Amino acid sequence: MMASDVDMVEKRLSDGQESCQREMVFPPLVLPNDVQTIPQLAQYVDEICEAVGFDQSLVMQMNLALEEAVVNVMNYAYPADVGGDLRVDAQCSRGQLIFIITDKGIPFDPTEKEMVDTTLSAEERPIGGLGIFLVDQLMDSVVYQRVDGRNVLTLSKKLDSTKR
Amino acid sequence: MKTTLYEKDGSMVAVFEGRLDTAAAPQCEQDLKPLNDCTAGEIVLDCNALEYISSSGLRLFLSVLKHAKPKGIHVFLTGMNADLSSVFKMTGLINLFELR
Repeated sequence: MMASDVDMVEKRLSDGQESCQREMVFPPLVLPNDVQTIPQLAQYVDEICEAVGFDQSLVMQMNLALEEAVVNVMNYAYPADVGGDLRVDAQCSRGQLIFIITDKGIPFDPTEKEMVDTTLSAEERPIGGLGIFLVDQLMDSVVYQRVDGRNVLTLSKKLDSTKR
Repeated sequence: MKTTLYEKDGSMVAVFEGRLDTAAAPQCEQDLKPLNDCTAGEIVLDCNALEYISSSGLRLFLSVLKHAKPKGIHVFLTGMNADLSSVFKMTGLINLFELR
């Protein structure tokens, strides 16, 4: 996101959360499938969350959900060693902050993954599989669609969300 | 993100500073490797200056525990803020570590 875009968004959202009851579209972020670019995603999510008036805890939660969902795409959408982009769109609509993650990789529905058993002991606990579980826990809704050869994952969080 | 190890009274302490995200995890994993060679004492994971952790970081914490537990080494978490602790609760990992 360009600095000027952020300024513009912040100006339009100067009233904080109330302004966001209107329909609002933020500039998109495009990233290569390289996890070293995650700090750029974090900056993007921080700016949007702060613009809509989310508190520090919610900003952390949105960062975590977006990182997990995006890393999942970076790791699985494209064959190893093949470059590919993903795009993150963000908008406020009907009292919700919505993030849409799109890639042109192989069809992959992360919502079909098995849920994690959080009651297992350290010995039994598998080392992976927490990412998508966290996305599901942190967002109010997670919807996968395959549209025109693209994976489209839509993450929504109510703007009046309270600290959990 | 910075990970520092030091020994104190026969225990190993790992101090985490900054954001432990997927980009930072590979270096942190390298930095934590000496902990796997611990044969006695305890391990303290000091999270006072840890600002953020994602599943890549949680995986590293779990891995430390998996190496330590069979050797009877206790692994303590210390200094987590409420946001970090909510992530550990959500994933059930909070129950696997000892808190201090």
